[in-house]
Amino acid sequence: MLAHLGLYRRLVLAQVRSQLRYRASFVMDVLAVMVTSGAEFAAVGLVFASFDRVGGWRLGEVAFLYGLVELSFGLMDLVFGGFDPDFMGAAVRRGELDKLLLRPAPLALQVFGSEFQLRRLGKVLVGTLIFALAVSLAGIDWTPAKVLYLPLVVLGMIMFFGGLFVIGGTITFWTVESVQAMNVLTYGGLTLMSYPMTVYTASLRRLFTYVVPAAFLNYYPALYFLGRPDPFGLPGFAPFLAPLVGAFTLAAAFVFWRFGLRHYGSTGT
Amino acid sequence: MIEVEHLSKHFTLRAPTGGGGALRSFLSRERRVVRAVDDLSFRVGAGEIVGYLGPNGAGKSTTIKMLTGLLVPTSGDLRVDGVVPWRARRTYVARIGAVFGQRTTLWWDLPVIESLELLGHVYRVPPGRLRSNLREFGELLGLGEFLHTPVRALSLGQRMRADLCAALLHDPHLLFLDEPTIGLDVVAKERIREFVRRVNRERGTTVLLTTHDLADVQKLCRRVMIIDHGRLLYDGDLGALQDRFGGERRLVVDLAEAADVEVEGARVVERDGPRVTLAFRREDVSASDLIRRVTERHAVRDLSVLEPDIEGTVREIYEKNLLGA
Repeated sequence: MLAHLGLYRRLVLAQVRSQLRYRASFVMDVLAVMVTSGAEFAAVGLVFASFDRVGGWRLGEVAFLYGLVELSFGLMDLVFGGFDPDFMGAAVRRGELDKLLLRPAPLALQVFGSEFQLRRLGKVLVGTLIFALAVSLAGIDWTPAKVLYLPLVVLGMIMFFGGLFVIGGTITFWTVESVQAMNVLTYGGLTLMSYPMTVYTASLRRLFTYVVPAAFLNYYPALYFLGRPDPFGLPGFAPFLAPLVGAFTLAAAFVFWRFGLRHYGSTGT
Repeated sequence: MIEVEHLSKHFTLRAPTGGGGALRSFLSRERRVVRAVDDLSFRVGAGEIVGYLGPNGAGKSTTIKMLTGLLVPTSGDLRVDGVVPWRARRTYVARIGAVFGQRTTLWWDLPVIESLELLGHVYRVPPGRLRSNLREFGELLGLGEFLHTPVRALSLGQRMRADLCAALLHDPHLLFLDEPTIGLDVVAKERIREFVRRVNRERGTTVLLTTHDLADVQKLCRRVMIIDHGRLLYDGDLGALQDRFGGERRLVVDLAEAADVEVEGARVVERDGPRVTLAFRREDVSASDLIRRVTERHAVRDLSVLEPDIEGTVREIYEKNLLGA
């Protein structure tokens, strides 16, 4: 296990070194990510120029949701980049997966170490800035429990989106065409989780509460942090399910991954 | 070392049912079975260099994928040193090396030396062993001049040399070479062949070589296996193959003036103005007899006899399926 972590560290460092080799283009990449990410949030800010509240939430409160999911997704993208269906699909077609399978290290570990893109930190940075703005605007009543729970919420979202990446990446073992459907779920989920559930229709809200439990990852924890009551009357433990939902999604994703690998071994590409 | 018995790999494809497109074929229950590898049996002993030949789509790469543990056979037995490759992937691949001429195993953006060192860690090569292997292979392959160049900036020949080094750093017993000289110039090809010969001789590394360049085979392999439609057409001595299917010799005749040439024991295969090419077999007629027959009937300006090369021999085997598999 320790040897595996050592190898992971080496694989990641090798990539960081090669990315930093072209410093100017790296800085441009990060800036481009930040501008895109920032512009998207600016659009949200514009809405608040004409409306005081959206779905009953003030700017600072929406920024809390938005910043938290943005920075979590950015961190996930950094760590799980190798599983990104768009990347994995190309890698499978090019025979990159065979290359990794010919090496005596666990495949998942090698995939984790195959696409560690530091420029994703741009998204993390923007998310953190938005989150900082939110904290200053929303007037959160911080308690030790809230401080301790916050990183667990981030972890839950990293595991949840990471699981979606792993599932989408695994689908590419069969077909590259259905990947877009998975991307709709992943990036749609990301957008959906950036706003309070009260702005959605009841059916959409139920879908993302009971079928795809995205609401438990960001919205319900936010209610707890912001001290807002739950308008939908779920049990009091609802805000604390985020790490569980994340862990479950990721575990299920890796079960599917193993199944996919067995299929890959019987058909190849 | 390699023991293959009645090995088969069948793929099931959804048969398109004539019109209706992707959805229809997706929904269709009809299936078509492709026998990529069909009842293949052979053995390869330790220290051999075997050429594994066949036209595109013959089943070569499916065989290699099974031998390297990437694919699970449909039926049959496959063992390498007693190990079933796909059952114990990680322990198995630690003992084999592979070079795929079409793609690199190295990190595109990293200098060669960093890629090699990283692979040393992936394979857990003891540091002392890694150093001595790097020194030895580096010298033999002349890697020194580009060790610190990123892989993306290497020429194809340099990249192939670096890949060969990478495949051997962990002292594999068995080396798979898939088109290791593809796209290289003559000098670069020769350098790679010399290196493979040397590794085989000095380290006893068994080599399975697939290639379209039959000069690779002629210069490296005593034994060849020829596969087509998933079946083994020939397995044996390269020399015996050439004797047995020695192919046709050619007599190129430049006539004084264009004419129809008809001689016993040979047939015209090409006609280009006054130049006529005749094909004939050693057992039907000797070259001198044939030349006499031609010169008796025609005024000839020039003559030359072309011996069959292995390429022609193998092509003949593919085309005519001479072995009647």
